[in-house]
Amino acid sequence: MEVNDHVIVRKVLDGDKEAYGTLVARHSPTVFRVAFRITGDEADADEVVQEAFLRGYQRLQTFESRSEFRTWIYRIAVNCALNMTSKRKVEATYQIGEETDPVTQQVQVADHAAGPERTLLSREIQSLQTAALGTLTPTERTAFLLRHMEDRSTAEIASVLEIAPNAAKQAVFRAVQKLRRSLAPLRVNP
Amino acid sequence: MNHLSEEQLIDHYYGKAESSAAASKHLQACDDCARSYASLASDLGAIKPPSVPERSAAYGEEVWQAIRGTLPVYEPVKAKSHWNWLVLKPWSLAAAATACLLIAAAFFAGRQWEHRNSSIATHAVNADAGKQRVVLVVLGDHLDRSERLLVGLEHAEPSTEASLQAEARDILSANRLYRASLNQTDDPVLAAALDHLERVLVEVSNQPAGLSQTKLVELQKEMNTDGLLFEVRILRSRVQEDVDRNNAVAAKKGVSIL
Ligand SMILES: [Zn+2]
Repeated sequence: MEVNDHVIVRKVLDGDKEAYGTLVARHSPTVFRVAFRITGDEADADEVVQEAFLRGYQRLQTFESRSEFRTWIYRIAVNCALNMTSKRKVEATYQIGEETDPVTQQVQVADHAAGPERTLLSREIQSLQTAALGTLTPTERTAFLLRHMEDRSTAEIASVLEIAPNAAKQAVFRAVQKLRRSLAPLRVNP
Repeated sequence: MNHLSEEQLIDHYYGKAESSAAASKHLQACDDCARSYASLASDLGAIKPPSVPERSAAYGEEVWQAIRGTLPVYEPVKAKSHWNWLVLKPWSLAAAATACLLIAAAFFAGRQWEHRNSSIATHAVNADAGKQRVVLVVLGDHLDRSERLLVGLEHAEPSTEASLQAEARDILSANRLYRASLNQTDDPVLAAALDHLERVLVEVSNQPAGLSQTKLVELQKEMNTDGLLFEVRILRSRVQEDVDRNNAVAAKKGVSIL
């Protein structure tokens, strides 16, 4: 039978560093998934996973035995991922200022056009969706991703984002409203 | 019962459990609401999660190998003071103090290791890399936090001014320690930015009557907080590059057997 997470945390705090490896192995896939959903980038998600477990280890003494390790590390990962996306946004702002790059854009257009019709369409939808998600505030976006793609309850979202349940609910609500508005062009007419 | 609001429909869509039985009943009875619900469901159903790239079965083990070299061993409760700096509030003064003792050394080590040739023992490099990675993460946090404060100052509202001031005092203490641990020659750019940051933090912390909008505008102009924000962002991305390079080196060397 699998050793319980709480038992492992206890062992780590008692000086068994290697035991933490079990927790890392056990929860990496979940952490990677949410990190990828928030950052939208594979390499960034890998980095978030490492950082989350690193921070988790550093803060392990603040972990309370009445909570679940998986929820706790998940929350740390969501925050690392949010930091990562805001950092990328700052970088992007500078890049736009420094270099407008018509060449890259042309290449992308050509690449799109070369694909078969169906790929083109689904890619267009995908990029519209990504753009629409980009118009949300980080809290709205994360609340929505957790709700829509990670199947988290309002209470869980509130706990992960450290906001009141009603604020979490409102964030999801606003996100859905904004998304429906931006994605209206994709709507199949009845 | 009244028609269902959009909010109630959204609740119903995501969590039947969280939605009331009354809502379900109403949806069965009311065509208008049923139509709104169908439209909502079709819109939301069209938003498909992008597929998450596969990770191998060994992924967790790889993550562990990548970080384990940087982690100190927890000492059993009786004698834990040894590495207390990692514990609890990473931003307590004790944390900052110990971290900054390492900063100068780690930056120095980093520079040395770039110049070293590959015949150097992997263990030593990894030990440096591990220590440096932790220090960089800590320094990165400090810069993040400073960045948030500076952004906050630019967009301060009367309701947030008091908390900004408290935050500034907090960051100031940590900043002084970092600043003191760095020689001008270790990293002149970082040292200069921390100096500039300190001057701003002192100004913000020492407004006896609190911050007014007028005072903020004055500060922004006189102390060039825009420029400082820019410097901090550049440093932040540089620190991140160091972390990345550090990871890359560790990975190439076959990683952390500590
Ligand atoms: Zn109705």
